Amino acid sequence: MYCIYCGVKLQDNSAECPLCHTPVVLIPGPPRKAAPYSDRLPQAEKQSGKLLLLGLVTVILAATALGCLIFCLKTYGAVSWSGIAALGIALGWIWLILPMWFPRWRPMVFLPVDFAAAGGYLLYLCVQTGGNWFLSFAFPVTGMAAALTLAGVAMMRYICQGRLRLMSLLLIVIGLSFILVEFFQHLTFATPMFVWSLYCVTGFCLIGLFLFAASFIPPMRSWLRRKFFF
Amino acid sequence: MRRQWYRLDNAALIFPAVMRRNWNNVFRVSVTLKEQVDPAVLNRAIGDLRTRFPTIFVKLRKGFFWYYLETVDQAPEAEQDYAWPLTPMTQKALRKCCVRILYYENRIAAEFFHSVTDGTGGMVFLKNLAARYLTLKEGVEIPAEGDLVRPEEEPKAEETRDCFQLCGAKKTVSRAEENAYRLRGNPEEDRFLTIVTGILPAERLLEKAHAQQVTVTAYLAAVLAEAVLERQREEPGSHRRRHIKITIPVNLRRIFGLNTFRNFTLAVNIGFDPALGEYTHEEICRLMYHQLAAETIRQRMAGRVTANVDPQRNLFLRLIPLPFKTMVMRLVYYFSGESKGCLNLSNMGELRLPETMAPYVERFDFIIGVQYSYPNNCSVVTWQGKTYISMIRGIRDSELERLFFSRLVEEGIPVEIESNGR
Repeated sequence: MYCIYCGVKLQDNSAECPLCHTPVVLIPGPPRKAAPYSDRLPQAEKQSGKLLLLGLVTVILAATALGCLIFCLKTYGAVSWSGIAALGIALGWIWLILPMWFPRWRPMVFLPVDFAAAGGYLLYLCVQTGGNWFLSFAFPVTGMAAALTLAGVAMMRYICQGRLRLMSLLLIVIGLSFILVEFFQHLTFATPMFVWSLYCVTGFCLIGLFLFAASFIPPMRSWLRRKFFF
Repeated sequence: MRRQWYRLDNAALIFPAVMRRNWNNVFRVSVTLKEQVDPAVLNRAIGDLRTRFPTIFVKLRKGFFWYYLETVDQAPEAEQDYAWPLTPMTQKALRKCCVRILYYENRIAAEFFHSVTDGTGGMVFLKNLAARYLTLKEGVEIPAEGDLVRPEEEPKAEETRDCFQLCGAKKTVSRAEENAYRLRGNPEEDRFLTIVTGILPAERLLEKAHAQQVTVTAYLAAVLAEAVLERQREEPGSHRRRHIKITIPVNLRRIFGLNTFRNFTLAVNIGFDPALGEYTHEEICRLMYHQLAAETIRQRMAGRVTANVDPQRNLFLRLIPLPFKTMVMRLVYYFSGESKGCLNLSNMGELRLPETMAPYVERFDFIIGVQYSYPNNCSVVTWQGKTYISMIRGIRDSELERLFFSRLVEEGIPVEIESNGR
């Protein structure tokens, strides 16, 4: 019995060609010999041990946070330092333990959650300490860090071509973002401008420009690949 | 028997570092007998070989700086084969034993975690297992010749050594090379692995290869490369042509005249750049043949072995704790390990058995698992005038296999196909 499309000989009991999926014209009869592979299915790996451990860590962390809150309420009659501690524990849980509950760590899902949690924690700190630095400093800086990190991760994961050029541009943008950070610092804390950011800008931009130029010069690009090959 | 432990050989170091929960590097060799397999006798045969093959019956253990292998106290029991071979070995399973013995109807299969041995070592073990089984079951007197050993003998020191440490050069050969085109497809949701085995008359295949004045491996690599090239052309929106390269694992035992039951293989990538223009079939065959010949000369291989062994000997790197080493190795593997070739073509060559044993054996199969990031692989073995080409894939799309086997049919080689497809 042959596949009319591929020209290969098929097994007697085939219903279709395994290569092109063309159905076999003859009505398949009872198999003359045993199927080449067994029908036993592999068992999925049991996750109970890992889940148990994660559950245990979660319960311990939750108990610690709750203990802090109760102790604080009983002692001072209000949530003071315990709120910071409890939310700190929650932040740690979101960063470290939450991804472990899932079979795969997906950066484009977990990283925004991590940055949002960090932003929320900073907001609480700001409110708790009576400061007014969140909107003018912590929020834009966290947002910038999130955007740049996600851009870098997306670039490395999803873009296969022209990575060097994109990486160089990202380095330049990271360098320039330090000016903004210092600007927000200046706005919020009234510190002088251009004290430290210019060093960062110069360093990042020089490396970025070098890589950008190298991406257009094939010998330079191949030299970089040869020297930094790993 | 006193529990022994072995350092991982140089090629084996990478596999535990890069394994994932749902993927690790496993390969399979199997022998189909003329009679149905008796699991009780098979278990006795496994037990008899445990002390003779101490580097095969091992479990994977973690040290502070390196992984290592430790002999098992009890041989693993043979279990019934799975619907799809090469299901990943879980970490828990590897802590018990790094080899799986399976049976189904007339077939005995052995699946190995790659840190234990390579295809050649695995096949030597399987031949010995089949020989012991036939001796116990049929009472056949099989002489210890060729790859067969006496089960009652003590293992020889040369069988358990890491040969990579013995064959280096004074200078390294750079591993830098262009990235290759990456085959893609829709992955099977439950990690089902489809195996399509093409059965070809070995003589006709050899004729065709000799007509092009190349070896069978180079000829098959050329046909496979043409199929990959066609696949790249068919890919929607692919205006840029990337390198087409086939990874060929080379058995270093023949090159260096050393023997071991552990890993002693080094992969070379051979191929061409389609962006340079169109190639004829003859040109691709010649390219593959000459590149393979040039890459596999002893001196070049020694230089490449040194490039791999040097980091392993570096004191600073040796002192890095295992978790950090694992992280670094994962990164290296992700960015360079699997990006240099489109898929593997592992040809084990023609197998031979003693005359008293051969009549009991119907066929052999050799299947390598899929890599983490590329979904297709191909392995070849020849037994009694038939060549068995097993193509494995972790994706739904069978286009590469269709292109490859139908090209062989076009060349005038009759191909018989069987599959575990669902």
